[in-house]
Amino acid sequence: MKSVILAALSRLIFGLLLLFSIFLLLRGHNLPGGGFVGGLVAAGAFVLQALAEGFAESRRRLRLPARVIMGIGLLVAITSGILGMFYGYPFLTGIWTTEPLPLLGKLGTPLMFDLGVYLTVLGVTCQVVFSLGEEGEES
Amino acid sequence: MGLWLLILPVMVFVAGFLAPWLHKRLGHRAGLGLALVPLAGLVAVAGMGPQIVAGDPVTFRHAWAPSLAIGLDFYVDGLSFLFLLLITGIGLLVTLYAAGYLEGDKNLGRFYLSLFAFMGSMIGVVSADHLLLLFVFWELTSLSSYLLISYYHEDAKARASALQALLVTVAGGLCFLAGIILLGQMAETYLISELLRMDPAALMSRPGASAVLILLLLAAFTKSAQFPFHFWLPNAMVAPAPVSAYLHSATMVKAGVFLLARLFPILSAGSLWFPVVVPVGAATLVTGVLLACGEKDLKRILAYTTVAVLGTLTLLLGIGTDLAVRAAMAVLLAHALYKAALFLVAGSVDHATGIRDPEKLGGLSRLMPKTATAAWLAAFSMAGIPLWFGFVSKETLYEALLGAPGGAWFWGTVGLLGSAIMVALAAEVGWKPFWGSPRKFTNQPHEGPWQMWLGPGLLGGLGLLAGILPGATGAMLVVPAEQAVLQAKGVVDPLKLWHGFTPVLALSGLTFFLGWVIFRNLPSARRLGSLFGKWGAWGPERMYHALVEGVLAFARWQTSVLQNGYLRNYFLTCVLFTAALVGWFLPWPVVFPTGESLARPHVLSVTICLLMIAGAVLACVANSRFTAILCLGVVGMGVAMIFFIFSAPDLAMTQILVETLTLVLFVLAFYRLPFFKNYSSRGAKIRDAVLGVVFGAVMAMVVLAEQSSMSPDRDVSQYYGEQSLVAAKGANVVNVILVDFRALDTLGEITVLAIAALGVSAMIRLRPASKNRGKP
Repeated sequence: MKSVILAALSRLIFGLLLLFSIFLLLRGHNLPGGGFVGGLVAAGAFVLQALAEGFAESRRRLRLPARVIMGIGLLVAITSGILGMFYGYPFLTGIWTTEPLPLLGKLGTPLMFDLGVYLTVLGVTCQVVFSLGEEGEES
Repeated sequence: MGLWLLILPVMVFVAGFLAPWLHKRLGHRAGLGLALVPLAGLVAVAGMGPQIVAGDPVTFRHAWAPSLAIGLDFYVDGLSFLFLLLITGIGLLVTLYAAGYLEGDKNLGRFYLSLFAFMGSMIGVVSADHLLLLFVFWELTSLSSYLLISYYHEDAKARASALQALLVTVAGGLCFLAGIILLGQMAETYLISELLRMDPAALMSRPGASAVLILLLLAAFTKSAQFPFHFWLPNAMVAPAPVSAYLHSATMVKAGVFLLARLFPILSAGSLWFPVVVPVGAATLVTGVLLACGEKDLKRILAYTTVAVLGTLTLLLGIGTDLAVRAAMAVLLAHALYKAALFLVAGSVDHATGIRDPEKLGGLSRLMPKTATAAWLAAFSMAGIPLWFGFVSKETLYEALLGAPGGAWFWGTVGLLGSAIMVALAAEVGWKPFWGSPRKFTNQPHEGPWQMWLGPGLLGGLGLLAGILPGATGAMLVVPAEQAVLQAKGVVDPLKLWHGFTPVLALSGLTFFLGWVIFRNLPSARRLGSLFGKWGAWGPERMYHALVEGVLAFARWQTSVLQNGYLRNYFLTCVLFTAALVGWFLPWPVVFPTGESLARPHVLSVTICLLMIAGAVLACVANSRFTAILCLGVVGMGVAMIFFIFSAPDLAMTQILVETLTLVLFVLAFYRLPFFKNYSSRGAKIRDAVLGVVFGAVMAMVVLAEQSSMSPDRDVSQYYGEQSLVAAKGANVVNVILVDFRALDTLGEITVLAIAALGVSAMIRLRPASKNRGKP
């Protein structure tokens, strides 16, 4: 059962939602937002897509299997923690660039950690929704 | 030199992990290549010889976890040296032997992996200086022993025996851990070399010393199969012959004896040492020889005689005189040489004929001349024939027993009984299958490949060589070990083959005569032995089974109660437990806040609250799942609104998103469920309602208590608020807490999330009744 209106709308919103999720991720350190919320918004985009155009389509849009994104997310988060150790700090100590970069502002491992959270949340949500949904769709 | 102590175990472990790959590439020739590793180890250990014989231990120290005072500390003196030589030397021969014995076995790579893992761990056990390091290696030997006993894992008996050995030795391992922690606390050091330098009398008079002694003795007794824990060793004989030779006679079962010897100066100062160790050792000796008489299986006979010898070693250490310690070291060396050889011979006989009953064997000397030579060389040492090292060790043993407190007559009789039965069984195992009256064999028994007779032959020959040169053997191996155990230095009498005409010599003569008599009347001895065995079946092993079955029954019972499979019961339990726990810890009485602390209710928030209440009530009485879940959605969105009103945008955003996605998940899940029906009985509904109200009330109390107490925890949020921008360069405190201050918690949470997601998708896809089973 596909709704044309929902499909058209979701195509419009999909990109906006993803953009918004990245916006949330980046501003999270200083203003409301962050990796967790950003990841949920991104997952919302894919779930909407799945409801509108089917799970296979949404899965294709995700490109990588959701569980792989989960794994990459964990890896990124752990790596961000290890980076500080090269400077002799304990695991997960935040380290920062000394000069602010244009557009992005100051970069540091907390942002990378947040990116890990973002990816993990996105992967987890998609993994659960997809496996629940495809089971229902095929029958 | 010291660095070798680290290289040795590491090298063996690495070789072990390469073994499966090597076996895949090289086939049965992999054994020859792998044998180079213990050979290198043997050469390295032998290279330490001169320094150790001179009384100067080899040490290696490396800080591992300095904050916990755990280091990679190794310490090798005469005692460890003797063990290291046995481990690497016999390890070399067993590695070669296995290549012949298990030729063509597709799991040979795995076998070498477990065998080398054991070898590395055993090297660690005897060379570790730090008690906790020793413990790690100690447990590793139990684990690798488990894998090796269950090598033929398709056989249920092999699995059961392996589990038995594991449970008994690991139970001892737990005692060991408790014992060394107590000892370490008591002595304020975990280094054996430092412990040995302490004043033992002062140490053992501290409170808790008896507990340390008992715990460490339990560890040693289980590992070394002492009465009443002896039953696991004969059952472990389901393992392949090289394993029995290596682990269950020459090395691993001696780890317990090693522990007793290593800590001898300290432990023997305890008042319980003599009254516990001596009876246990003596009981093990007698049990071992009597049960050995009743067996009709080469390997089980050898296993019970091993139990007996382990008992002898414990007995000697328990007696604890200088002479007894020397006898223990001599018996240990002699036994390792002849028993490993005899186990390998028994394996060869089994390999060639498929028979392990000595009654049905005979005349194999014509068919397997080289194995036969190895057999009699080893059997003569076991019987203690003059010129063999077994004779020297037996003479020393008698000397020590006759000098023991408790009366020469008593100990003389115990020793005589044990040694005489050993003589008879040596003839039964090492003589009869080869020179007994020839039997007909259905298959054509023939000599195995060279690897299979070289090992036992060399070990048997070494037993003879050591006996011919007792002075040199003593000076190089026995005396340094003895002095290491006693922590003594100085010149002592050398070992001698000929002691002159003494009562000991008369005892030896009597031993041979008695042994011969027993051998001639072995069938009656066997009846006696099996009678003893039947009686013994009611003993410790029965208790082991009762214990294991009891634990399993308890586990089944509590699983069926706690893991009953009904989601609603789990949920009920969780909610009830949480409510009770939280209620218990609340600062009663909780007072309703009054006056200034009570904010003026705002129209907006009151409206939202009323909406939420309506949603909750409707969810309870709804007639369809969708209605119920939409009503719950109203409650969730209401919470988000409240967050907004009280200026927590982060929380509100997250709440909205979670609420939305939850709704989607519920809808997807409901799609699969049968049509909604009211299954719950009236009683169940009332119960659920009561529980729900109680839980809600407790949560309300929590909020009130938090409001009224204004706890000192406020400092924490104040700290985070102040430090957020300064220390973590972020203005959003919530996010800074998540990704910086408490990043480790977040990391843990996302890991749990990922695991949960994998679990969910696995459960959905692998449902056995699913129509889509097997689809990706």
